[in-house]
Amino acid sequence: MKHMGMTAKGLHIWKNNGGSVIVDADSLFWAQVKGISQDSIFIPEDVLALYEKHREGLLKRMNDFRSSKELTAVYIDPTDRCNASCAYCYLPVKSRKSGRSMTDKELDFILIKLARYFKGNGRKQVIIFHASEPLLVKDIIFRAIKKYKNIFKFGLQTNALLLEKRDVDFLKENLVGVGVSLDSYRPSINQRQRPSGLQGSNFAGVVKALDWFDGYDGLNVIATVTKHNVKDLPGLVRFLHKKKVPCVLLNPVRFTRVSVPLLKPDENDFAKYFIQAVEKAVELTSGTGRKIIVGNFTNTILAIVAPQARRLMCDISPCGGGRCFFTITAAGEMVPCGEFSGMKGFSGGNIFRDGIDKAMRSPAFVSVRARRVEKIDECDRCVLRNICGAPCPAELHSRGDMYQKSVFCDFYKQVIQYAFKVIAQGKVKYLLRDDPLQDLKYEYNLQ
Amino acid sequence: MNTKKKKNAAKTNPDTQSQAGNIAYRLKCAKTANGLSHFVMYGDVRKDKALL
Repeated sequence: MKHMGMTAKGLHIWKNNGGSVIVDADSLFWAQVKGISQDSIFIPEDVLALYEKHREGLLKRMNDFRSSKELTAVYIDPTDRCNASCAYCYLPVKSRKSGRSMTDKELDFILIKLARYFKGNGRKQVIIFHASEPLLVKDIIFRAIKKYKNIFKFGLQTNALLLEKRDVDFLKENLVGVGVSLDSYRPSINQRQRPSGLQGSNFAGVVKALDWFDGYDGLNVIATVTKHNVKDLPGLVRFLHKKKVPCVLLNPVRFTRVSVPLLKPDENDFAKYFIQAVEKAVELTSGTGRKIIVGNFTNTILAIVAPQARRLMCDISPCGGGRCFFTITAAGEMVPCGEFSGMKGFSGGNIFRDGIDKAMRSPAFVSVRARRVEKIDECDRCVLRNICGAPCPAELHSRGDMYQKSVFCDFYKQVIQYAFKVIAQGKVKYLLRDDPLQDLKYEYNLQ
Repeated sequence: MNTKKKKNAAKTNPDTQSQAGNIAYRLKCAKTANGLSHFVMYGDVRKDKALL
């Protein structure tokens, strides 16, 4: 799937799952064909005709999508503090222990400023209360949701340690999207990854919360995958399906902090258990009629069959940081993404003093938007480069240079190969939510 | 690989006709999601656009 010594341009053929895949890395035109080899110089006539007919349009839409600077989400970290001590957290320990929290007035100021910025935009932007643990300032964020729910959509990422039944009722009533962190279906493994002075870990709190949410559409669970929980991924899917969770994200641990690489799962193991988890989700979905999706795999599928429909902006290049979203820290610093929190040179200004436009134009934001996968050695020769996007710039910057391939490159390749297999098997319907399936129309179809 | 060469060859070779089972398709959404968020799909509770 690589072409040595030159940037991969035009159509390339690689063997996959007993057949061959023809891919144009730039437009993401692809075809799965039988009976030709990687060394073949022949491409089926109708595939070639299809490519020639659609190439320019596909390329233009990909370029527009990749260069768009439309902000659709803003992450707000209302507090630096956290009540857990996750081994892989990308936020500095000092700020998690004794950092500051926003006041009610400060949060209000920010939301008014954002509302003015987006006024007349026509789309309801998403405000996500995020790391460290936003429920430590539950009162101010719930007041903000109540006050601004007609202006913004809201999301909340939480470890659930402070979540109470009445909070869940409030979140459901106000249609807040909720991400809950859980790393394993086994309490001991979860505790190893996500220890907390409160209750040992968040396991019991999450289980209680999942019961309260009771199949709520806006719920998802995020697991951070390390060498300690990698084997638990299929079991986690089974556990969450039983709890009526509609979506789980199995995210690789990010190496943003120095000690984290020690937690890296073996990439072959990760691919193996990740794929088993996806297969478990498909099996449970098709067997019970109640859907559970592995969100980051669904995004890979979308990257192939409907690239502009993908949601998760880590696996596109340039990534969504400072382009589709940005983060406001508890001190008001605007950074391209939460992963850049605390890193020198990545503040685009302070929301209490500076404008959002200024942040978008700042060298910090521009530098992240300028990181295109074609500028990275090895990625430039990989035909899958615009499916994986070589995440994550913050992680790679902290390892010396953001212009290098992903630390999970082999994992992504294996997962993308599997994604093509699943597409060939016609299983896409089990991997996307039902409503969007009806919104997606064929632009062309050779089947 | 020289794409141009491939194209020319494929156009003139009858053996390269697609066989049954070949797959190539593209789906288009009415409105680009444009990354509502980078690792969670917030804001999808109403059935506006739940692409994942």
